[in-house]
Amino acid sequence: MKDEIRQFLLQSLKEMNYSTDGIDDDTVLGPAGADLQSLALAELAVRVEDQYGVRFNDDEAEMLAGMTVGEFAELVADRTQASSAS
Amino acid sequence: MAVTGIGLVSPVGTSAAEVFDAACEGRSGAVRPGEDHPLHGLVDVVAFSPEIEATSVLPATEARFVDRAIVMALRAAEDALADAGLEVGRNVAPDRIAIVVSGVGGLGLLEEQVLQYGRKGRLGVSPYLMPGVLPNMAAARIAIKFGIQGYTSSVGTACAAGAQSVGEALRILRADEADVVLAGCSEAPLFPTFAAAFGNARALAHGWAEPTDASRPFDRRRNGLVLGEGAGILVLERPEHARARGARRYADVLGWAATNDAYHPTTPRPDGSAAARCMSQALRDAGLAPGDIGYLNAHGTSTKAGDAAELLAIRTVYGGPDTPPVSSTKGVTGHMLGASGVIEAAIGILAMQRGLLPPTHNLEDPDPDTEVDHIRKAARPAQVQAVLSNSFGFGGHNVSLVLGNPGPDPGAEKSTA
Repeated sequence: MKDEIRQFLLQSLKEMNYSTDGIDDDTVLGPAGADLQSLALAELAVRVEDQYGVRFNDDEAEMLAGMTVGEFAELVADRTQASSAS
Repeated sequence: MAVTGIGLVSPVGTSAAEVFDAACEGRSGAVRPGEDHPLHGLVDVVAFSPEIEATSVLPATEARFVDRAIVMALRAAEDALADAGLEVGRNVAPDRIAIVVSGVGGLGLLEEQVLQYGRKGRLGVSPYLMPGVLPNMAAARIAIKFGIQGYTSSVGTACAAGAQSVGEALRILRADEADVVLAGCSEAPLFPTFAAAFGNARALAHGWAEPTDASRPFDRRRNGLVLGEGAGILVLERPEHARARGARRYADVLGWAATNDAYHPTTPRPDGSAAARCMSQALRDAGLAPGDIGYLNAHGTSTKAGDAAELLAIRTVYGGPDTPPVSSTKGVTGHMLGASGVIEAAIGILAMQRGLLPPTHNLEDPDPDTEVDHIRKAARPAQVQAVLSNSFGFGGHNVSLVLGNPGPDPGAEKSTA
């Protein structure tokens, strides 16, 4: 599941015209890594919400800039499994 | 104040010379929307401007979600600055350059997003919507792209907004709040909801076998306007600033005025009295008499009511049919809403430079009851020292600009307002 989500994140970045060269699980999403700014992070969150039927609260959305690709994929995977289990 | 740069995007060209030549030669930009276009079957005739890749004016990450009105504004601003030989931070200080660039905003992109919302709800709506569509975003993105930190705004006076932006620029320069102002307007109204609204309001030209016959200002058979898109930005500059850097001086903006009909949201006041007052005030602001005007570029959109009221207004200013030569260049450009006023100011400037006045395209049968000195059938040679340009908008907004010929020697110009 996490691999699929990682692929979805990378595909989303490409569609958003961001470079995915050198981006791996340890790359931070925000300006320190993949260089997504506020609206780009917001769009990535909306894309994930749409694709996986999950929802992020404001606190989680604010933390996105500091998360790595791997951490975000993990969060989405956990959330997806939790919602499918409930 | 001096005009030192011009940047245009229009259905008949992307330089002042191209647009002027098309106006003089009667080369119309009006076409039928192709079968694959969303406007096909909805409107008979429109006037498209050339496609511009958003990535040619914005970084790829920003270019993905931005309305065409903003893209055209950025291109016009880039061309105007290059034409003026201006580089922000090199020959104009970032806080001494201002922007007044207007337009109704990115309503085409808003339409797309409304449809997406209908299909997918909240998740169909992009977080980039606001910076992609807000009416100030043309001006704001010009500021961001070129590092311009002075006064920045946009005015919302519908089809008078472009001319009014030039007027506001004159006000800013007279107050010494800037050395340079980028003044203009960009409009991209060629999307279904807007076109349907204009059509349902019975404002659009219809029933013409040839699309190039459809826009015919002041002609007795006129039956509506041709909706067009475009952008125009002028660089206005304090004369001493322009002189100090050896800039070419296209023309001077000598004066302007704005009035309101206070009559109806869309129908012009039939006697044209508020428009006449606007022209007279602009002439006074410029320190000129009506007889000093050698060419009048009319608003003339090709609607029944609007053209008739404007001709009455012109006759009021001149006390009858003995007017300066008058034409509306919308016969070839269509009506680019607020952008028209800027593109028409540029046409007026070239008319002074070239000593040639463009005709009203398709004006075959002027109404004898509202006779003025129409330029028709062919461009008319004439040496002109001052031009009056009218722009009127929904809401009863009237704006008139007065432009002056700086003469052949840019170093020996008369003092300006």
